Amino acid sequence: MALEIEVRETGGWYVIAVRGEVDLNSSPQLRKAVLAGIERTPRVAVDLGGAQYMDSSGVATLVEALKSATEKHKKFVLVSASVAVTRVLELARLNSLFDMRATLDKE
Amino acid sequence: MKPHEIILEVSADPKLLSTVRAMVRSYLAEAGFTRERTDEVVLGVDEACTNAIRHACKGREDECFSIIFRSDEEWIEIQLLDSGEPVPAEVFERKERVEPGDVSEIEPGGLGIHLIREVFDEVQFCPGSVEGNCVTMRLRRPKPGRTGER
Repeated sequence: MALEIEVRETGGWYVIAVRGEVDLNSSPQLRKAVLAGIERTPRVAVDLGGAQYMDSSGVATLVEALKSATEKHKKFVLVSASVAVTRVLELARLNSLFDMRATLDKE
Repeated sequence: MKPHEIILEVSADPKLLSTVRAMVRSYLAEAGFTRERTDEVVLGVDEACTNAIRHACKGREDECFSIIFRSDEEWIEIQLLDSGEPVPAEVFERKERVEPGDVSEIEPGGLGIHLIREVFDEVQFCPGSVEGNCVTMRLRRPKPGRTGER
């Protein structure tokens, strides 16, 4: 399944909604969207609710985004990650590094 | 179950990874693995394919690599063979990943190899000396009635 990325602004957040599979083929698309969001706005959320799959290139993209956001003193959160995507972050031993939320309601 | 073998020849094109994952998923479901365990193993095979495409075939989409599935009563073995450039042996060395306390502590690279080691019961990397690489990944079959157990 191809990757679809949708961007919206809501409640002070720049939300990048991901639908489909993030892999070697599609992660450059996610990287571009996320890094552009961090440049542009102070609070970026990646909505992973529609992401059915993520590999190490997707994880590396999220790590790069978190590094960039931290350096620029911006907020970067992951929202609605599925069990499968959370498991990949756990296997990578990186799950505790991210601010992972069920929803964006509280803020 | 009689021992069997399936051999797939795959072009080193990242666009094909999604199809390869679907095939691996179907193979594992047929073998009786749980959804959760299947997700992990699909990731491991995908990481091995990604390594072959990036490091051995170096993005040359006219190159191919092979995926061989072998199975007997106790084991499922998935082997990747490529005829690309040999990847230095130290790339495959086991490195313990500790949970970083901070994003600045994350070491770049090695995540794919780590994930492969995490999800399979046995892994053997045998980089070729002149050309080609081989990775053999083995899984114990789920026991009947105790589906998906590692």
